[in-house]
Amino acid sequence: MTGNYRLIENKELQETLFHYRVHPGMDVYVLPRPGYQKKYAIFSTRFGSIDNCFRVEPEQEFTTLPDGVAHFLEHKLFEDERGNVFDRFAALGASANAYTSFTQTSYLFSCTANFEESLQQLLDFVQEPYFTEQTVQKEQGIIGQEIKMYEDHPHWRVFFNLLEGLYREHPVRRDIAGTADSIAEITPDLLYRCYNTFYHPSNMAVFVVGDLDPARVGNLVEENLAARNYRPMGAIIRRHPSEPVAITRQRTVQELVVSEPIFLLGFKDMSVENIHGRDLMHREILMELVLDILFASSEELYNDLYKEDLIDENFDSEYSADINYGYIMIGGETKDPDQLYQRIMEAIAKFLKGGVSKEQFERHRRKILGSYIRRFNSLEFIANNFLAFRFKGTDLFQLPSILHEVRLGEVLALAEENLDPDRHAVSLIVPPGAD
Amino acid sequence: MLEECSYHYLPNGIRLIFMPTDKFKTITMGLFIYQELTPKLAASNALLPSVLEKGSRLYPDYLTLQRELENLYGAGIGADIMKSGEKHILTFTMETAHDQFLGENGRLLDEGMSILGSVVADPLVVDGAFREDYVRQEKNQLIKDIRAMLNDKVIYSLERCLSLMCEEENYGVYRLGRIEDYDFIDPSGLYSYYRDLLARNPIDLYVIGDIKHDKVIEAAEKVFNFPRHGEQMKLPATEIMRRIDKVRYHQEEMLINQAKLVLGYRTYTGFQDDLYCALQVYSGILGGFPHSKLFMNVRENAGLAYYTHSRLEPHKGLMAIASGINYDQREEAREIIDRQLEDMASGNISDAELDNTKRGLINQLRSKQDSPSKLISFHLDGSIGGRTYTLEELTAGIEAVDREDIKAVAERIKLDTVYLLRPRKGGSN
Repeated sequence: MTGNYRLIENKELQETLFHYRVHPGMDVYVLPRPGYQKKYAIFSTRFGSIDNCFRVEPEQEFTTLPDGVAHFLEHKLFEDERGNVFDRFAALGASANAYTSFTQTSYLFSCTANFEESLQQLLDFVQEPYFTEQTVQKEQGIIGQEIKMYEDHPHWRVFFNLLEGLYREHPVRRDIAGTADSIAEITPDLLYRCYNTFYHPSNMAVFVVGDLDPARVGNLVEENLAARNYRPMGAIIRRHPSEPVAITRQRTVQELVVSEPIFLLGFKDMSVENIHGRDLMHREILMELVLDILFASSEELYNDLYKEDLIDENFDSEYSADINYGYIMIGGETKDPDQLYQRIMEAIAKFLKGGVSKEQFERHRRKILGSYIRRFNSLEFIANNFLAFRFKGTDLFQLPSILHEVRLGEVLALAEENLDPDRHAVSLIVPPGAD
Repeated sequence: MLEECSYHYLPNGIRLIFMPTDKFKTITMGLFIYQELTPKLAASNALLPSVLEKGSRLYPDYLTLQRELENLYGAGIGADIMKSGEKHILTFTMETAHDQFLGENGRLLDEGMSILGSVVADPLVVDGAFREDYVRQEKNQLIKDIRAMLNDKVIYSLERCLSLMCEEENYGVYRLGRIEDYDFIDPSGLYSYYRDLLARNPIDLYVIGDIKHDKVIEAAEKVFNFPRHGEQMKLPATEIMRRIDKVRYHQEEMLINQAKLVLGYRTYTGFQDDLYCALQVYSGILGGFPHSKLFMNVRENAGLAYYTHSRLEPHKGLMAIASGINYDQREEAREIIDRQLEDMASGNISDAELDNTKRGLINQLRSKQDSPSKLISFHLDGSIGGRTYTLEELTAGIEAVDREDIKAVAERIKLDTVYLLRPRKGGSN
């Protein structure tokens, strides 16, 4: 059985993670957390909304998907010949859920009893697809309502309008759930085609955390997969259109019922495609430091803008980087988006000239370390983020050591590269009749 | 709840609740000042935590406070107002990473507690008043927050339904109060009101983490040593028995795509009621889970909604059923929802629905022990509701619920208010 495992240690957190590799090539991670009542498991595939054009070796032809297939498939796995999957978890007292992002689909449950049965259920339902004309049609109605809900959600809209403004070609510019029209094109055949490609275990991983015995979990997963006689699959080749440096448009304005305008400023990162593994995490940490030093509530800019009533406490900045796209977002609700825009751009220009003090750098570095440790209270945080980082070739447990490595001198260089005024766009939601 | 939970009264009457545990990476503290919820006081109560956080004697501006917290390894402070039943609770929290992960030696408890104490009990006072510019600034921010409720239509429709339903009761006031009341708050009046609150209202201080008992008491007594009245104010209980003559209907139009239907019910069953556990099971079977009747019938069978659920306000004894639907399908949705309530009342509940709901509720209860903030809010509910349940009591209570209990709950439940947020005609859709 799974006698072979690798230990991943993290001294700062005093955690030891067990890593198993089971046939046919799936990673299983188990993190024991003594004293916790809850056990949490997540089963993820590298299939997200941006994986919309692919082939499997040795095929030559690419398959192109309508928008929203990964998310649609996620919904549909919860139903099979035996009925509704939620009922089976409910009978075990476990709480199941799922989510789809740009790059992955994840199925999960948490429970305080019947853990092994629940883990079997998770592995079973994700590996047993069942799609019919009738169930696909019904789901179009449900997801249609989900899409409508998001259409009315200003913070969701401002985000996707920004990505649309930044990206001309890359599918990250389109809503994860697709549109009413795109999901109307989805058929059972198409779902099976995607399922058979992306749900092969070699494209998936499992993370389990709680007060449990790693070897038992490793064995359970290995046996569950062994019974299914998987054959090795060729490599999945994903095709993404090449993204030009230029943005789509600098300003996107949409009217929605809001109390005051919602403003989001974004920059497109053009280098992520060539940066992998530890280097990518290094870049993420460094960029977090840049944004923190510029925009955190401990810095002058935030406090000035707050006093001038240009922002509220929810003003925020964020950097997001994945395998082949990356972006920076800065913004919040504001009574005067033009003024806020100008102030932020001025602050960036001043920052690029003036630089960073040692005190600032160390203070923000301490903050990132402490915040990271605090988040390890949450089993969901650990599991979800470990796999998300794993899928982009990085390692959540490496954060403290990389944080230790970053140098003050690197901050400005990255800021200069990534806060390039030539690659920025603005997205605005305004009350009807305001703009 | 945990292995142990100890109570200790500080010399000035603040109750310290300490939960020792070594399973978290953090030290968590929370200080709660209880006040009654009334329309008149709500704006002042909401304003206080914001003003206090913006400036204290030791950290006279927000930037200074935030830098101090960053140096303390990104410790997080929270200052907010909570509405629960007809209680309005000023809430101050502090969370730091635990020393043992940072090579520190016990200073994070002391320093975290001391910052929390500065914000709560050592405010920035100028001539017997809070600083005028801070008060003005925070009024403005809170008024913006009240208006911003509109931005999330799911939250907005639920708030509107419950506030219309309770417009003649104290519960009807929004958590942040009424915009018009902010005009009448002045910095010196607000300060003297706060001194009164600190002196007379009940205050609980929670500490959770891997710390020695005597260290916690020592730190708390050192920081929270301000004088208070011997006798604490008794807060009135939440009104839960208001009668209904007839169902009220409200509609609002907006430029939106999806209609939101919210049904507000009175359960006439409060936190102290012997049927409290039965009410939890009732709402769970009806709409608390993805296996529940609403999810199965409105969503899975009819495909009418993405979200459809029931939620309880346990202290006020309210239940709301909320769904996002097509406006054209509102009657169909309403019929299906009504049928689920009829099935609840007539006992048309399968063994699986009953058993799975109990298991689901117990799973949620047990899971609370894995989060410091959930541990605090579980315990806090006991103080708000005037009845302290242990986790074991609630678990046993839920397990013991039978069909007769659910029938008894169903007989009490009355529809009070139907609220529909509908897309404006001629708008997108």
